[in-house]
Order: sequence, then C-alpha cells, then structure tokens
Amino acid sequence: MKKIAFSLTLATTVLSAGLALSQAPDDASKIIRGHYQAILADCAACHTAPGGKPLSGGLPLETPFGQLIPPNITPDKATGIGNWTEEDFHRALKTGIGHDGKRLYPAMPYPAYTKMKDEDISSLWSYLRTVEPVFNPVDANQLPFPFNIRLSMLGWNMINFEGGAFKPDPSKSPEWNRGAYIVQGPGHCGTCHSPKTFLGADKVDEALQGASLQGWYAPNITGNSYIGIGSWSEDEIVQYLKSGANGHTIASGPMAEAIQASTSLMTDADAKAIATYLKSTEGGPTGKPQPVSASDPHMTAGAAIYHDTCSACHGGAGKGARQLFPALAGSSIVQQPSAETLVRLVLNGSQGVHTPEAKTQPSMPSLGWRLSDQQVADVLTYIRNSWGNAAPAVQVSDIASRR
Amino acid sequence: METRCPKRPTRRQFLSSVAFTVLAGSAAPVLARSISGSLPWEVRSADPPVQVRPGGWLFFTPEEVTTMEAVVDRLVPADELSIGGKEAGCVVYLDRQLAGFYGVSSRLYTSGPFLPGLPTQGYQKPETPAERYRAGLAGIDAWTRDNKGGKRFSELSPDEQDAVLKDLEAGKISISEQLDAKSFFNLMLSNTMEGFFADPIYGGNKDMASWKMLGFPGARYDYRDHVTKHNQPYPLPPVSIAGSTEWITR
Repeated sequence: MKKIAFSLTLATTVLSAGLALSQAPDDASKIIRGHYQAILADCAACHTAPGGKPLSGGLPLETPFGQLIPPNITPDKATGIGNWTEEDFHRALKTGIGHDGKRLYPAMPYPAYTKMKDEDISSLWSYLRTVEPVFNPVDANQLPFPFNIRLSMLGWNMINFEGGAFKPDPSKSPEWNRGAYIVQGPGHCGTCHSPKTFLGADKVDEALQGASLQGWYAPNITGNSYIGIGSWSEDEIVQYLKSGANGHTIASGPMAEAIQASTSLMTDADAKAIATYLKSTEGGPTGKPQPVSASDPHMTAGAAIYHDTCSACHGGAGKGARQLFPALAGSSIVQQPSAETLVRLVLNGSQGVHTPEAKTQPSMPSLGWRLSDQQVADVLTYIRNSWGNAAPAVQVSDIASRR
Repeated sequence: METRCPKRPTRRQFLSSVAFTVLAGSAAPVLARSISGSLPWEVRSADPPVQVRPGGWLFFTPEEVTTMEAVVDRLVPADELSIGGKEAGCVVYLDRQLAGFYGVSSRLYTSGPFLPGLPTQGYQKPETPAERYRAGLAGIDAWTRDNKGGKRFSELSPDEQDAVLKDLEAGKISISEQLDAKSFFNLMLSNTMEGFFADPIYGGNKDMASWKMLGFPGARYDYRDHVTKHNQPYPLPPVSIAGSTEWITR
C-alpha cells in the first residue's frame, strides 16, 4: 500500500515538473498580455453570447446585408478554431482571410485589426489557445444571396480594404499615438462610430462622426464640441470609459456592453491615451442648426410631457444630477442627427453599466406604456431643442418601428 | 401499563442522528456562489396601471346606478368649486372597485369570530362591501318608498335627499336588519371621496377636477426646482398617472 502511494506521489511530482518545464516563463506573461489584447479588442462583445461560455459564439449581428452569427473562436477542433495555426490567425486579422482561405465578412473588424502590431496578434493567439475549448457549432453565414458568397469579399476588399500596420505620427506624443493605435486598431471604435458607405465600409474621411447600427445611434466621438466629445475634459472621457458614467452622460446599449467587457478593464494609461487622441480628432458640423421654436405645438406638448414625466430626475432645466441622472442640456448625445438611441431609452428604459469603479447602476424606467408615439416624438423634440440644444425634430413615424 | 408514542425516538436514535447530521454537515462542501454585483433589470419592464374607462356597469344594476348617482351628487354637489360626484365618475369608480377585489374583501381576513370592535378597529362584520351596497341601496329605496310617498331616493328633491342622508348618518333610520345605517352611510361617504380625489385612472376625478380645485399637483415626486420659491404658487398643472391633456399636440 505504501509503495503504491509513493509511486503515485513520484508520478505526480514528475508530471507537474514536466508541465512546468513545457511552459517557458515568458509564455505566461505572453498569455497575460494576450488576455489584455482580447480586452482591448473586445472579442467577447461579439463572440460571447450573454450567459454563454466565453468566446464560443455570439448573438446574431443584424447587418444591412443580412444576419451574421459571430463564430466559436475557442480552441475546439471540431467547431472552434482548434485547427487553425498562428499563421492562419495572423492572416485572418491582417487580411480577413481565414483558415483554408475562407474569406471573412468585415463584420469581423479586420479592416481595424489589420493595424494591430504583430506581437500583439501573437500574444492574443497565445491567449486564445488557453481558453476552454467549447463544442458549439455556429453557422456564421446567414446572409441572403448574393452576399452569402464569401468570395464576393475579394471584390469588397479590393475596393474598401487597405491593409498594413498602424503608422505612428512622429509629430505627436507617444500617448496620442498609443490612443490612435487603440482607437483605429484593436479597439475598432470606428466599426460602430464611423459612418458607412453603401457597401458597409467605414467612410475614412468621416471617421468617428457617428453612425446608426442595430437600431442604436453610435454618436459622434470626435473632438467636435457641439456634437462630439469636445466639451468633455480628458478626465471625464477616462471616467466614462472606466465607469460608464460621467457628469455628462451614462452609457447605454452596445456602448454599455463595450464598457463592461472592454474599456473599464483597460489600464488608466490606455484610457487616457484614447481620450488624448479622441479630443484631437475633428469632424461633423461645428455650427448648430436653428432650434425648433418653443411655440411650436410639438414643443409645447413636449414641454408638458417633460415636466410631468422626465423633470423629476433630469431637472426642470435639463441639468440632471452628476453621474446619477444624465444632463440633457448641452448634451451632445441628445443632439445627434438621429434620435434612435433616445427613442430606445424612452421606450425601453436603460440601466447603467456595472463596473469596478461604479457599482451603483442608476436606471431609467421604461416609459413606453405611458407615452404614445406622438408623445415620445414630442418630448424628444423638446429636449433636443431646449436650454440651448438644437437638433432636428423627431417624427412620429420614427417611433412605431421601435416599439 | 407503559404506553409509548411509537414515533418518539429513543435516546440512542436521537444521539446517533445528531452525530450523523453533524458529520454530514461538516463533510458537505461549502459551495461558494459567485455574485456578479449587477442589479437585476429588464428592458421595457413596467407594471402599468389599468386605466378604468367609463361605459357599462360591472357591479351595479341600473336601479342601483340611479340611486348611487343621486347619493354621490348630494355628497359632492356640483357648485362653483367643482363638478358634481356623478359627473366626476364617482359611481364608475365605485362600480369597478366593487366588481374587483375590494368588493369581495379578498385582501382582508373575513372569517370569524365576529365580535363588536372599537371604532378605531374598523368594520368587524362578515358582509363584504359588495353585499353591503347591494343590501344598503335596496334598503334606502325601500325606506323612501315606505316613508316618502312611494318615491325612490333619486326621485326626491335635493333637500329631501339631504334629509334622508343626514338621518342615515345620524343612525336615525333603519334600512335593513343586518345593515347598520350609520356605518353604511360612512362607507358611501368614504368611497365617494376616494372616487372624487383618487387618480383618474381609477375611473373618478374626471379631468383631475378635484386636484384642480385644491391645487394639488398630482402624480409628481420631485420639487427641487420649487422648494426655494417661497410664497409663490406652484406653476404646473396637475398630472395623472396616465398623463394629462396638456400632452396632446394642439
């Protein structure tokens, strides 16, 4: 009996020593760096379904061309990317061509990931090999003909895709360059925030100027002080990225998810770099349009609805209460060209994101039961055109489809 | 003869079961639960009230409606201050209440023993509000037929109606064997006031008439913009849970 116990102990010792030897010390730190790359790139945003196993495939993405399901990228050989090599992975991120030459759709933001450094991609690959393999078959391509022909992406890439690593601007600070790298590369901010061409590619000359997707409006995040984040200080941008809330607004929708899974877990230095870079960007209208007249019938009805329904939290003059109730007066989020996000917030309500820095989750109740389509339109027209705000009126026809 | 309860454990059984429980308890792993810290929340969650709409009667018979409308119009007469109880929808309010859980006292303990209580203890008898109205309204009409020349309560002049109500309130007349006239009067009075002053979504207080009369601002809950404005009237009109006519684009 004693003998058996001894040999078991010996075998265990030898085995663990062997394991330790096979993992070189810097592999561990490479995996950790890779995990941070996965946070920067927010892989989980698309590839992890709510409540699902990490990276084993996500919820369907509604694109203007049809539905795509983010595939399983765990190391499972049958249904994940267990058969891929590091070269396959590198090529997929750099050029959008996956294992066996299969072309990816640019819903996978390889036009942004192409700017990633080789060493960052290599670290990310090391990390992805350590994720628990999950058997979960995903039929990614749900697009209708002709978009379901993956080879069509060959033509798309010729027109829209420009590969190549991020080129630092030597005239700018290292911090600015770090921010630009994250925003344009792994962070792929433009995937949501940049307007798209009719082919679904980012309009490069209008980068980060706001775009509509999946029924939300990803706002202008350039340094524009009317409609972008120019009126936010760098610290306020950092606070927003780290906690999902600052004195100006509280994140909602897909950005709330991005903050939870990605930006709140970034280092302070990286969040600061992003702020520095975004503040330096330009784009969008600098002058405000003429606001809708306060005597307009939609404005007077909207004012009554606002004072009876919204002012309890947002204040009679739209000033809100720092970090608890977003300010509406002067808010660039409120004045975006499209009110899609606002319509959603009023109809559905919203809950602030839970982050290590902000654990209280202020939430807005759903008002869809209380307000008719016309009333939602009128109250939004009112908040978009009061207290110095100016933005196009919201039409009643914009509401029904969001219910 | 020794009698033993067969289910009673022996000392040995008891001690061994305690030992076993302690052993099993300490051997079982203590499972740590991971709590995300995120508060539960659902998109579009709401518990909207059901708006009572006038039209049709769920509880009252047509005769009862006529009598009740006459009663509420004496308890809240139309005058220069406000519309009357009938126009305000007090009977609609009461009809829906009596057809609902209030009418059958489904939220009250209504089994015996039934003992006379103190006035502060409230109503102590088995009859539900629905039963009291059914008997009480019939009793009032029966009493006026017998004592007011065959007329129903609604056919009396306002002054005569007031006199009957005052006598009910004072307990001077008896309208039913089981029903105490005084307590039935008080029931009608408090329910009429509820209908007149409650939120319009419950069927009464038409167009927030009573709130406008009082200057009550309605279903609001934040006055930060106004607390420092001493000796100034509150500027905003009342608002119901369901909204306000000001919300309609004109």
